[in-house]
Amino acid sequence: MDVMSATLKPYLTAIRHTLEAAMCLENFNSQNVERHNKPEVEVKSSKELLLTPVVISRNEKEKVLIEGSINSLRISIAVKQSDEIEKILCHKFMRFMMMRAENFVVLRRKPVEGYDISFLITNFHTEQMFKHKLVDFIIHFMEEIDKEINEMKLAVNSRARLSAEEFLKRF
Amino acid sequence: MILLEIHNRIVVETLTAKIKNALEGNKPDTVDITVADFDGVLFHLSNPSEKSKIRVSISLHFYNDLKEHGANELIKREYAGMLTDTEDGYNVSVVFDLENIPSNWEEQVQKAGLLKRNCFASVFEKYFAFQQAGESGKERAVIHYREEETMYVAAQKDRVTVIFSTIFKDDDDVIIGKVFMQEFKEGRRNYQQAPQVLFSHKDPPSELQGTDARTGENIGYITFVLFPRHTAAAVKDNTINLIHTLRDYLHYHIKCSKAYIHTRMRAKTSDFLRVLNRARPEQEKEKKTMSGKTFKMS
Amino acid sequence: MTEKQSFGVAPITCHSFSGDRNGLALSHNNNDVILYKKQAGKWVQKSELTEHGQRVTGIDWAPNSNIVVTCGADRNAYVWTQDKDEWKPHLVILRINRAATCVKWSPLENKFAVGSGARVISICYFEEENNWWVSKHIKKPIRSTITSVDWHPNNCLLAAGSTDFKARVFSAYVKEVDKKPAATSWGPKMTFGNNLAEFSTGGGGWVHCVSFSASGDKLAWVGHDSSIGVVNAANEQTLYTFKGKYLPFYGISWVTESSMVVVGFDCCPKLFTQRPNGEIEFVHDLDVPKEADESKMSAMNRFKNLDKKGVTGAESSTTLKTQHQNTIMQVSVYKGTKADCGSVATSGIDGQLIVWDLKSLEKSMSGLKIV
Repeated sequence: MDVMSATLKPYLTAIRHTLEAAMCLENFNSQNVERHNKPEVEVKSSKELLLTPVVISRNEKEKVLIEGSINSLRISIAVKQSDEIEKILCHKFMRFMMMRAENFVVLRRKPVEGYDISFLITNFHTEQMFKHKLVDFIIHFMEEIDKEINEMKLAVNSRARLSAEEFLKRF
Repeated sequence: MILLEIHNRIVVETLTAKIKNALEGNKPDTVDITVADFDGVLFHLSNPSEKSKIRVSISLHFYNDLKEHGANELIKREYAGMLTDTEDGYNVSVVFDLENIPSNWEEQVQKAGLLKRNCFASVFEKYFAFQQAGESGKERAVIHYREEETMYVAAQKDRVTVIFSTIFKDDDDVIIGKVFMQEFKEGRRNYQQAPQVLFSHKDPPSELQGTDARTGENIGYITFVLFPRHTAAAVKDNTINLIHTLRDYLHYHIKCSKAYIHTRMRAKTSDFLRVLNRARPEQEKEKKTMSGKTFKMS
Repeated sequence: MTEKQSFGVAPITCHSFSGDRNGLALSHNNNDVILYKKQAGKWVQKSELTEHGQRVTGIDWAPNSNIVVTCGADRNAYVWTQDKDEWKPHLVILRINRAATCVKWSPLENKFAVGSGARVISICYFEEENNWWVSKHIKKPIRSTITSVDWHPNNCLLAAGSTDFKARVFSAYVKEVDKKPAATSWGPKMTFGNNLAEFSTGGGGWVHCVSFSASGDKLAWVGHDSSIGVVNAANEQTLYTFKGKYLPFYGISWVTESSMVVVGFDCCPKLFTQRPNGEIEFVHDLDVPKEADESKMSAMNRFKNLDKKGVTGAESSTTLKTQHQNTIMQVSVYKGTKADCGSVATSGIDGQLIVWDLKSLEKSMSGLKIV
């Protein structure tokens, strides 16, 4: 097992525990705007309703920002991008998913600055879905996203290699 | 991995069908087909006067550039006996007479399909000849083969340099393009006989410095350095076939890569959605079977 | 040992039982309150109370007078009186401009308290001459939303928890309807709105629930910092705090003078006890799961799951072995009193109401001793 994968497990375990704690949400009506019920982590209108944000990082490039509040939490993920091709693959993929945010109910349409993708989970989600499985989903997403980007990169590389060889060998 | 075909398949297939039809003794019908090819090239198949004649015309908006390098002469040589009055708005026209089909019609049909390639070939043949003759110092040829994209050909005593400038419409294409060009560079190690391929991004290669060659984030230059072993009479046709399709070959594979990435993203996204769906509790429903038994859906 | 009924997949926001325990009022996370009647061991729907314009947030069914009070995010409270099979609403003038969050009848049922996001508590009582419910406000020093209220047995003191991290004891003595109360261990000054005591466990967690013990001497509360706080007024108001590795608790109720059941985000009700020396101690989980048996899956379900969720059967993802499959929002005394409770009822986001028979649980679990 190389160093990278050896650090992945504790990284994800730390995120899982933090998410379990941060996903303790309740339905909470705005105390500042009449008849409003908005995610406090987004509107930030009462500071006592916000939890201290937590950053969990595996290294400089890979980190997660977890911002909690009484009725909502925001999870922002910086995905590993070690070269130009990984960067565009990540960017393309995240954009692709965010365009489908409607199906992905918990996906935020725009990532928080400095991160590649953000999820916004509110009490309405934890009421309609099992909390522990929402945590599973985020962890699954994090496990898979690196793998997927890596595989896509390999696929581009091997197509490039094959097409170059095919071309060159005809001379 | 597919190499692009150098002839136009629709032109070849249409002609073949029409001629076979005529050979079987059927009456010819009206033809009027316009076919687009790479690099903004258009083919037009029509009946110039009567139904028994099929005219194939090609339009290349850079034909004037090619004419300077002897395209007309090459076409005359290649298509002797087939040429006809050039149709309005086109550069070259050839004709097939269905009432008088020559025995080598299949060969001629193939040739008609190669009109584009042969137009291109003129400039290569000219500069290959310069090099073979050891003539250098000739002005380089500049062919504006696409809008904003240019091909440069220059001959020296020991080599012919062919440079394509190409535009990547999408920023992502630049990066995927770089991956491909890197492989072209490295792939040569295993194919020593292939010409050297160089790639430069943003700025033109040194050969073009001081010219009006464009610079910019989305511009790439592909340089082939062809040696006598590529320009010799016996192999020159093969070299031309390969080189003039490279730009399209590259863009085609970039597109394929993007399509593949897209498919993967779609699949993975629906996989993610499935995992998210696991979080939704399912309402227990009772259903009745035909016999009146109830069972629970879970 | 437990009686479980599922009311669908919608969360149960709050519940309250009638005095004879044959009636149950629930809100399924919407604008309506549904009244159920127990028939042959099952809760069967009887009536719907549909007056609130937004989500119902609190229900309290007065055990003796059989009057139901409800409050909601629409800033209103209604008092419902039964006329044969019909329940008639009376609007209560709360005079608040934010959502109401919780409601509770006083022990004598002559007034009730409503907490709200307007950072006030409305103490509501009936004015005979005008024939309506009016309210007085407790304002100071509340700095955030009130999450929970509970009455002292003397009918005049009120405990309140708030998202400003504090649990407080106020005087809610209303001279129009109450006899002047005697001084209690919480202090002598009984002027309406007087803040007799204020506590914080120091962790900076929102207080989710407060509960007075049967004697009224002890106040317990749970907070979002996963803490339980207990203060004994008879013992110089010394604060004892428990902080565990559990997820935060959301509800608490005393079940004897020294033991309490807490529920919350970890989906398993727990019994805690305050020892004579004051320390708070975890006693036992009420929900000890049996080893889950992997039930066989039909071919049809297998394919359905494969399509919808991408799994074939026993999946690798987390499964909860507790009876409640999501956060428990409320715990209430079902049988007995806070002084000697026979069973408690819990309800939660998973849409289930579970009644836990404490006496038989105590018999069956060696570690579970309720003192």
